[in-house]
Amino acid sequence: MNNSQASGHIPDLDLITHYSENCRSFLSRASPWTKLIGLIAIIVILTITQNVELLVALYALILYLYWQSDLPIRKLFDWCLLPILFVLSLVILLMWNEPGVPLFSLRFAWFSLTLTDNGLLLLVRLLLKALISMTASLLLLMTTKYAHLSAIIYGIFPSPMNQIFLMSYRFLFITLDMIDSMIRAFKSRGGGFIRSMSRQSQTFAEIFALVFIRSYDQAERVNKAMESRGYDGTYSASTEIQQMRSVEYIVMLAFLASITYLLLFYSS
Amino acid sequence: MKKHIDLVQNHDSPEPHELIHIDCASHVYPDGSIGIHELCFKVKENEIVALCGANGSGKSTLLEHLNGLLLPSKGNVYVMGEKIDTTTKKDLWKNVGIVFQKSDDQLFAPTVLDDVMFGPLNLGMNKGDAWDAAMKALRAVGAEEFINKIPNYLSGGQKRLVSIAGILAMKPKIIALDEPTSDLDPKHAEIVEKIICELKEGHGISIVLATHDLDLAARIADRVCIVKEGSVIAEGRPSEIFYDIDLLEDAGLKEPKIVQVYEALCEFRGADVKKRPVTIEDLVRSL
Repeated sequence: MNNSQASGHIPDLDLITHYSENCRSFLSRASPWTKLIGLIAIIVILTITQNVELLVALYALILYLYWQSDLPIRKLFDWCLLPILFVLSLVILLMWNEPGVPLFSLRFAWFSLTLTDNGLLLLVRLLLKALISMTASLLLLMTTKYAHLSAIIYGIFPSPMNQIFLMSYRFLFITLDMIDSMIRAFKSRGGGFIRSMSRQSQTFAEIFALVFIRSYDQAERVNKAMESRGYDGTYSASTEIQQMRSVEYIVMLAFLASITYLLLFYSS
Repeated sequence: MKKHIDLVQNHDSPEPHELIHIDCASHVYPDGSIGIHELCFKVKENEIVALCGANGSGKSTLLEHLNGLLLPSKGNVYVMGEKIDTTTKKDLWKNVGIVFQKSDDQLFAPTVLDDVMFGPLNLGMNKGDAWDAAMKALRAVGAEEFINKIPNYLSGGQKRLVSIAGILAMKPKIIALDEPTSDLDPKHAEIVEKIICELKEGHGISIVLATHDLDLAARIADRVCIVKEGSVIAEGRPSEIFYDIDLLEDAGLKEPKIVQVYEALCEFRGADVKKRPVTIEDLVRSL
C-alpha cells in the first residue's frame, strides 16, 4: 500500500492494518503477549515518573523500535499533530504562574502571566507522555495481527466487552468505507466547497444521520446473518496466539526491574 | 408446468422425499407490507430450485423462512418433515444454510478462517474439528489461500467464495443462495456457478437459488419457480418456464439469452419453436 491508497482518516485504520498484516520485523515476530505487557509497562512508567530525561530516553527508545520495525516515520509525525494539539489545549492554561524560576511574563491591564522553568517542564513532560503513549500504542497495533489482538482481548476482557470489541473492528471498516463513498459522491456533485457555515453544517448533519441509519440497517443484517449460522449471543475468537519465548521473558523481567526501580526511587 | 391455481389449492403435508415444504404461507412485515402471500413451495432431495422474480417479488423473504429467520404469519413451513414454529426454528440453521446477497453482511470475524469456523463452532465442534471443517470448505470453494486475510481486504468475488465456505463448513442439507452472482465479475460468477453445481453433484446438497439472472437459472436449475408479489405463480422445468414469454413478462422478467437467440433463429428460418434449448449445449444440439 502506498500513501495515495491510504485514506484520510487520522489515524488511518487501513494503513495501520496494512502494516499489522504485512510487517515482517522482529517485533512482528514477537509474541503479542510480550508487546501488550510491554505497552502496559510503558504506561505504568509514564504514570510513575516525572523525570524528563527518562521520558526523553524512553521516547527515543520507542522511536528507535518504530524505525527498526520498518514502520512509516513520516506518517507518524503527521499523526502526532492530534496529541500535540490536545496536550497544548490543556497545558496552555496550566503552565502559567507555576512556582519556579521565572522565564518571562506577559502583563495585561489587570493581571499578569508568568512562565517559569517548572511551567515549561510541565508542558514538555505532558507532551512527551502523550507522544510516548501514542507511539507505543501504534507500535503495538502496527506489529500485531488483528486476529491476535482480538484473541488477546477475548482472553482478557469479560463478556460483553470482548464481544463488542470482536465485532466492532470490522464494522468500523465498513462504516468508514460507507462514509468515504458518501463523501466522494458528495464531492462528485460539487459538494465540499464551503459556501456558508450553515449550509456546510447542514450537509454534514445529513451525512451523519445517513451513516447512523445505514449502520443500524447493516447491524440488523449482520445480526441476521449471524443468527442464520447459530449465533446465540456468544462469539469466541478461535485464533491461537503465539506463546512467549525465553528471550521475551528476559525482556519482561527487565521491564519489571525498571518499574520496581522507578517505584522505589522516583514514585514521589 | 404447474400454474398458480393448482399450487395454492395444494394444502397438504410434506412427502418423505421433500426436504422443504411450504404450505400456503403468508408473511406480513410489521409495517404492513406483504413479504409473501399464500406461497406454496417445495424442495426435494438433491435438486437445484431457482426462484426467479423481479426485485421486491418476495424471493429473499421466502429464503429467510427456510432458515427460521422469519416465521409465516399464516400457513406452515416444514423442513425435513418437521413443522417450523418458535420452538423448532432454533435448530433449523443446522439443516438450512443461507448465503446472503451482500457478503459484507455475512463476514464479520477478524479473519477468513475465524469466519468460516464460526458456524462449526456453534454446531458444538471442538476447535480441531471446526478447523478441519473450515479448511475442507475453503478448499472446496478454492479459497484456502485467504485463511489469514481480513475479510475487508478481499475482492467481491473472494468474499462471496468465503461466504459460501462459511455455510458449507456447517454441512447443511440445503443451501439457499440469495443472488449468488450479482455484483460479480464474469470470472467469479463462473466460479460460483461451478461451485453451486458441485455442491449438488459432489456433496448431495439441495440448492435454492433466488435470482433474477435467468441465464444462470437456465444453465443450472432442475426446477424453476416464478415468484410475483410474494407468490409462486408458476413452476416447472427451465425449458417449460423460459419459453412462456407471457408468463415471464407478467413476472417482470425477460427470457434468457439462449431462448432469445433460438426464437430469433426459428423466426428467421420460419420454423416452429420445438426443441426449447436453454443452455449453449442444448442450442448447439438443436441446430
